[in-house]
Amino acid sequence: MSEFSRLVHIARTDFSYFFRTKWLMAILISLNISDMLVTGLVYKGLVTFDYFRFLVPGIVVMGLFSAATDTGRRIWLALREGVVQYYMTLPVRTSGLVAAYIISGGLGGIVYSGVLLIIAFVVVPPQGIMNAILLLPFLFILATGIAGLAAFFASISRVGEIYWVYAQALQVSMVTISTIFYPSSTIAQYLPGPIVVIAEYNPLSLAAGALRDSAFGGGALSTSVFANLLGVSLPLAGIGALSYWVILRTIRIRGKP
Amino acid sequence: MFAVETLSLSKKYGKTDALRELNFTVDEGEIMVILGPNGSGKTTLLMTLCTILKPTSGTAKVMGIDVVKDGTKVREVMGIAFQEARGFWRHKPSSILKFHASMFDIDPVKRQDLIEQTMKELELWESRDKLFMHLSGGQAKRLETAKVLVQRPKLAIFDEPTSQVDLRGKRKIWDKIRELRDQGSTIIVATNEVREAEYLADRVTILHKGTLVVRDSIPKLKDAIAGGDVVEVGFEDPVADKLVEDLKNLGGILTMSPEGNQLRANVSKAEDWVPRMTSASYNMGAKISTIKITEPSLDDVFLHFTGKSLEENP
Ligand SMILES: Nc1ncnc2c1ncn2[C@@H]1O[C@H](COP(=O)(O)OP(=O)(O)O)[C@@H](O)[C@H]1O
Ligand SMILES: [Mg+2]
Repeated sequence: MSEFSRLVHIARTDFSYFFRTKWLMAILISLNISDMLVTGLVYKGLVTFDYFRFLVPGIVVMGLFSAATDTGRRIWLALREGVVQYYMTLPVRTSGLVAAYIISGGLGGIVYSGVLLIIAFVVVPPQGIMNAILLLPFLFILATGIAGLAAFFASISRVGEIYWVYAQALQVSMVTISTIFYPSSTIAQYLPGPIVVIAEYNPLSLAAGALRDSAFGGGALSTSVFANLLGVSLPLAGIGALSYWVILRTIRIRGKP
Repeated sequence: MFAVETLSLSKKYGKTDALRELNFTVDEGEIMVILGPNGSGKTTLLMTLCTILKPTSGTAKVMGIDVVKDGTKVREVMGIAFQEARGFWRHKPSSILKFHASMFDIDPVKRQDLIEQTMKELELWESRDKLFMHLSGGQAKRLETAKVLVQRPKLAIFDEPTSQVDLRGKRKIWDKIRELRDQGSTIIVATNEVREAEYLADRVTILHKGTLVVRDSIPKLKDAIAGGDVVEVGFEDPVADKLVEDLKNLGGILTMSPEGNQLRANVSKAEDWVPRMTSASYNMGAKISTIKITEPSLDDVFLHFTGKSLEENP
């Protein structure tokens, strides 16, 4: 086995942890799908099709966000369970271990939101499927970025419960100050200008917007969409990689995280 | 080439000196037992050899490869069974072993049989459907050992491999560790149990407060502590100071430690000393209830070299 395939194997094993906590999966999936179905089926007569098309991409991005932030929980678990030290005895470079975690976070996000997308395509005419497929690699990078943020919070959480507090705070702020569930014009009515700009450049808003325009709206994809997504995601992934690397270095020196 | 070689290896945790300028070697193909009480630095040494810990100063080489400069290469040739079992909590034992085997390129065709056989030998087969987090302490420790047995690394490290295992399980693990040596692996076992050291060691290294006290085969270590026998005498009453004085004057005693009704003496020749001791005691009116003559144990070796017994540490 080459070092690279070892690294992929580690990422896959870690990623499988996302699905091993079944209750967590059950809650996540049921929340997201019921959101979609409720708006899609029950309110089909009440809510306009436009609003449905607006909302579903938001839910898909929410799914991606929840799945990617699960990376932080898994890092925290691996630290508590002592598995990190086991990883450190495997024939993989430290940078490989870091990459494995971030990749597994990206995988989590993309697989989970991919499933939501497929479900959504059952309800929505599939004119934008090709666009969605083109977007997937960029959504993957976005997921690694969010995984990176989560890794950062895991690294500064001495106690597990604190990580949940950070994760919740992150979720509330990133979802509230975004255009996932309402357009920026709505934000502009209530909040000052700078916040509107933050909301528009929130990576989640960018992703939701791209899905709306091209996957669900059938519009053409522009390179600026890709560039923006990369521009906000890569630095976050970098922060995460650095944080996880610092954790490993601390273990090397102090014998514990 | 040494399988393991450290030069002035030191490790500090903050202000705690866990290893002090340690010079330590292990020959290829031997079982080296590191014997020392809790806190003597055994785990720190092993964690440094397996590249988890970075030395504060000094160097360490495994199979000639530097653990700091070339960590990944070191990790390819060694395997460690941790003192505290570490596994994926939500995996079953066999999938933990499978993951480990694939990481170390164990032939996929033989892998499954090897895993099954090892699990049966270490009595893990009955627990094959339990998740790691539901294993008992002893089962988790045996799984930890099983990982390294399946891996068959060039350098296999076991940190207190039988600490939570019952006696029957201990024998099994010891036999498997010897078998691994016979197949060509070099082995390091850290322990604070004399019995484990006696059973396994080709050579013993005594570690005390992060320094190497002495290193040799068990017979040579026992010879080195002033030869002779150990006599334990039980009296019906507490041992009087006057008696201790008289016994000292008999000669032939190397060390003597009275404690309550018990007297423990290292003597050069038990068959000469015991009759003289009994008549001296009789003259003093001290009644003897038991006499036990033994060879020195590794405990005595440890006592001799460190001035402390293994149990009363740290
Ligand atoms: N992570 C750590 N942080 C601080 N001190 C430690 C740590 N690990 C071990 N020590 C200290 O280092 C010394 C050696 O410990 P250790 O290597 O675990 O010994 P042993 O394995 O022989 O019991 C002890 O004094 C112990 O308290
Ligand atoms: Mg220890």
